[in-house]
Amino acid sequence: MTEAISSLSSTAISETHGDGKRRGFWSLACQRFRDDGVGMASLIIVAAFFVVVLLSMSGMAASGWNKEVAIHDAPPDLWGLLKPAAPTAMKSLAQRVEEETKNAAQAQSKEALPPLTVTDPLAETLQALNASEETSTAKKEKRASLPFGGDRWGRDVLSKTIKGTQTSVIVGLSAALLATFLGTLLGALAGYYGGRTDDALNWFYSVFSAIPYLLLILAVAAVLQQRGVTTVILILGLTGWAGVFRLIRAEYIKHRGRDYVQAAHAFGVPDRRILFFHILPNVSHVVLVNISILAVGFIKAEVILSFLGFGVKVDEVSWGSMLNDAQSELILGRWWELVAAGGAMALLVTAFSLLTDAMRDALDPKIQRTS
Amino acid sequence: MVHYCVAKLTGKEKGLQKRLYSGGLKRGVALWFIAASALSCFSTAALSQDASKTAPLKVLRMAFSTAETGFDPPRVSDLYSNTINEAIFERLLTYDYLARPARLAPMTAVALPEITDGGKTYTFRLRHGIFFTPDPAFGGKPRELTAADYVYSFKRVLDPKIRSPWAFLLEGRIIGLDALAEAAKKTGKFDYDTEIEGLKASDRYTLQVRLSEPDYNFNYVAAHTPFSAMAREVVEKYGEDTMAHPIGTGPYVLKQWTRGARIVLEKNPDYRGMIWNFAASEEGDAELISEMQGKRLPLIDRVEISIIEEEQSAWLAFDRKELDFSGVGTFREKVFDEKGELKPEWRAQGVKLMRAIDPEVTYTFFNFRDPIVGGFEKEKLALRRAIIMAYNRDEEIDVIRKGQAIPATMPIPVGVVGHDPRYQPLNTYNPALANQLLDAFGFKKGKDGFRTMPNGAPLLLKYATGTTALERQFNELWKKAMDSISVRIAFQPGKFADLIKASMACQLQMWGSAWTADYPDGDNFMQLLYGPNIGQNNHGCYESKAFDAFYEASLKLPDSPERNRLFLEMTRQMEVDGAWVLGVSRERNMLIRPWVIGYKKHPILSATWIYLDIDPAKKP
Repeated sequence: MTEAISSLSSTAISETHGDGKRRGFWSLACQRFRDDGVGMASLIIVAAFFVVVLLSMSGMAASGWNKEVAIHDAPPDLWGLLKPAAPTAMKSLAQRVEEETKNAAQAQSKEALPPLTVTDPLAETLQALNASEETSTAKKEKRASLPFGGDRWGRDVLSKTIKGTQTSVIVGLSAALLATFLGTLLGALAGYYGGRTDDALNWFYSVFSAIPYLLLILAVAAVLQQRGVTTVILILGLTGWAGVFRLIRAEYIKHRGRDYVQAAHAFGVPDRRILFFHILPNVSHVVLVNISILAVGFIKAEVILSFLGFGVKVDEVSWGSMLNDAQSELILGRWWELVAAGGAMALLVTAFSLLTDAMRDALDPKIQRTS
Repeated sequence: MVHYCVAKLTGKEKGLQKRLYSGGLKRGVALWFIAASALSCFSTAALSQDASKTAPLKVLRMAFSTAETGFDPPRVSDLYSNTINEAIFERLLTYDYLARPARLAPMTAVALPEITDGGKTYTFRLRHGIFFTPDPAFGGKPRELTAADYVYSFKRVLDPKIRSPWAFLLEGRIIGLDALAEAAKKTGKFDYDTEIEGLKASDRYTLQVRLSEPDYNFNYVAAHTPFSAMAREVVEKYGEDTMAHPIGTGPYVLKQWTRGARIVLEKNPDYRGMIWNFAASEEGDAELISEMQGKRLPLIDRVEISIIEEEQSAWLAFDRKELDFSGVGTFREKVFDEKGELKPEWRAQGVKLMRAIDPEVTYTFFNFRDPIVGGFEKEKLALRRAIIMAYNRDEEIDVIRKGQAIPATMPIPVGVVGHDPRYQPLNTYNPALANQLLDAFGFKKGKDGFRTMPNGAPLLLKYATGTTALERQFNELWKKAMDSISVRIAFQPGKFADLIKASMACQLQMWGSAWTADYPDGDNFMQLLYGPNIGQNNHGCYESKAFDAFYEASLKLPDSPERNRLFLEMTRQMEVDGAWVLGVSRERNMLIRPWVIGYKKHPILSATWIYLDIDPAKKP
C-alpha cells in the first residue's frame, strides 16, 4: 500500500522525455543541471570550499591560525611574487618621554626613594620562585612577510581566512537547515490543516516579519548574552524561518486539494504520513532551493553580526570579524586582510548564488525551456 | 574627569553613554553630512554679513567625537558639555594658559585666596564690575556678579534635586552644608536662604569658605567648571530647562544649539575682556608669546562645533579643511614619518603639530567583593597579581595604541603632582613567574588544561566589554594573556552606561576604565581607591584599611615630600593587594591649521579657543 501511494505521488510530477521513455523527476533535473555550464562551474567552486572546510575541521589545515608566526602587520608576499617594503619603526613621543623619564629616574636615583613601610605578604614566595628558576623571556624568530600577509598580532591571514571559511560555511549551512526545518514544519502544518492552526501560525509569522530583521537579530543576541558559533546559528535560524514558512504553506495549500492527497485520505493514511511522506517529496525542490538561498543570506548575516561585534567569540575567527579588524587598517594601506576575507566571501557567495539559480532552473518542472 | 571607556582612542568621558544610546555609526555619518551642509550655508551667510564690516569674521570650526548633554555646569560630567560651560561660565580661579605643570590663576577673583586657619578658611575677593549676559530673568537691568552668586552655586551642587555628579567634591568638607543637604532630602526642597557657617558672603565682593578639615586642594575645586557662578534668577526662571539656558559672565554665549549635532558659540559683547599676558614655561612658548602678547581677548568671533562620532569622518573633514583642528588617533602613519616628525605634505600645508601626554591613567580593576577575584587572602592576592603579571601592556601600546601611549607606573600619571619617576612597579610583565605563583598557591590545572581554584571550584574570569573593533582588540590581548597562565576568561558585552552603573554597584568582576585629571593633583587619582568612595568612583570596591589610613593622612597635608611619600605608600599598597592592572597614559597629537594662532594643549582647560586668534589672510 505504501509503495503504491508513493509511486503515485512521484508520477504526479514525472514527464515524458523526447525519446518516449518515462524518466523520473530527479534524473531529469540532474540532466538539466549537467547541461548548465555556469551551474557546474559554481558547483565545483562550492565543492572546493567544502573541501577546505573539511580539511580545516579535521585539523589538517589552518589549525595554527591563532599562532603569531610573523611580525605585526606583516605584509603579503604571495610566495615571492610581491616584494614587500621593509617595515619601518617609528619613534613616538611616548617612547621619547619614556626614555626621558628613565634618564630622569637615573639622574635622581642618587637621592633614593624614601623607604616604604608597606609589607608584601607574597614577598617570600616570590623571592623563592625567582631564585629557584630563571624566568626566561626568550623571543622566537618571527617572519617578516607571509603569503597573504599577517594581521596586527602577526597571525597568518591565509590561515585565518581558511578558519573563517569553516565558521562561515558551518554557520550558513546549519542556520539554513534550522530555519528551513522550522519554516517547513510550521508551513506544512499551517497549509495542510488551515483553519485555526493556520490563523495562529500566520499571526505568529506576521509578528516575526513585522520586526525589522537586524533589530530582531540584535535583540536575540542581547538576550542570549553568550557569543559563539552556536549562538549565531541559533539567532539566524530562529529569526530566518519566516520566508520558508510562507512558501511552504502556499505549496501545501495547493497540494492538499490534489487527487493523490485525496486518495491517501480515502485509504485512511494518517495525517503525519500524508504531510511528510506524500506531500513533502513533491515540494522538496522548493525546500532545497530555499536552503541554498538562506545559506547565502546567512553567510552574509554572520559577517554583519560579527562585524557589529555580536558574532563569534574572541578566540574564534570568521570573515566578519576579519573585516571588522580590517576596517581601521585600510586607511593606513593594509589591505590584505580585507581583500582575503572579502574575496573569499564574494567568491563563495557568488558561486553559491549561481548554484542556487542553476538548481532552481533544473528543479522547476514548469519553467519555460528553449532547446 | 569622570570615568570613560578605556578603549576609545579619542573619545572621552561619560559622553560616551550618550554615544552608545544615540545609535552608532550610520547616524554619526548622516549627522555629519547635515552638519557639513549646514556649515557651508553658514559660512556664506557669514560672508555676506561681513560686507558691512571692515574685518572678516573670525570663525573657528571644530568637532566633538561625542554628543554633549547640556549646559548646566553642576549637572553634567562629560568633557564636551564641560568644554562649552568652561567658555560661558566663570570660576573664581582658573589655570595659567602656558604654565606647565598647570598652575592656578585668578579668574573672577582678584588673586588666589588667602588661606588661613591652617588650611581651613579660604577667603576669595572678587573683582568689581563683572556682569552677567543680559537675560529676561534680570528684568532689563544690568546684573553684577557678587559673592552671593558663588554661595548659591556651591550650595546648588549639593541640592538633591539636581543630582550633581560632583557632589563628592564638597560632601563632608564645608561646615554646615551637609546638614542643609540632609534637610533637603527630607523636605524635598533645598533651603538656599539659610546662611551656613561654611559658605558666607561677608560683603558684596568677599566670599569666605570654611572647611571642617584642613584641605589644601580646595583651590582646585574653585577652579573646576562645575563650580562656576550661576545667577539664581536664571536658574529659578528656567527651572528644569537650565540645560538649554546657560547665562554666565564668560567670554562666549550660546548662539545656536541643535542637540547632538551642532553647537555655535559667539563672542559675548558684554564681556569685560582681558589681555593676553602669559609667561613662557617651556621651549616653543616664545613664539606663541611673540604672536599673542598684549592682544585683547577674546579674538575669535564665532566657534562652530559639529558632533562627528566617526573618527574617520572627522579626519576626512579636517583633510578637506572643513575643520581647523583634528586629533591624529589611528591615522598616525598618514601623519608622521619614521622619525615621528610631520610628513612633508602636511608641513607644506603649514599644519602645526601639538603633542602632549594626557594627565590620565587607564586601568583594569578587580572587584574586591567578587567571590572569585575578590578578597584579601594570600591566594587571592596571588591570583590577582598573577593576572596582572600576565597582561602584556607593551603589546597594548605597540599594537593597539599604535605607540601613542606610555606605561603607567603609578595610579598618579606623569605631569600630575605626586607622580614619582623613580618608583619601580612591583607587578611587571612576567608570565613565567605568574605561572609559578599560581602553581605555588595550588591553582591546579584541570583535565581541559585550565586552572581551577585551590579548592577545586571552577575558575572563570568575567571581563566586561563593549562591541567596538577596538574593544575586540583588547579582548584578544586579554585572551592571549590569560591563555598564557591557563586561566579561563569570558567577555561580557554591555553598554557603557549600564557598565558604569553595574560597576558603581560592585557588580562587575573586571572592567577596564580610565580617569583624567579634574585637577593636577595626585589626590584626584588616589580617591579612586579610597574605601568610602565605593558607590561613587571606586569601581573596584577596593577597601584596604592600610590604604585608607595613608589616604586620610595625605588629605591633611599640603603638597610636600611627606605627602608624596604617602602617595608612594598607597601605590605600593595597591600593588601588593593587586587592586588594578595599571594601564597607560595616552599621547594626544593635535593637528592645527596654519591660520589658527596661539594654540597650546592645556592639561586641564579644554575651551582654550578663548586664548586663540585666527589669521584670515592664511585661510584658503
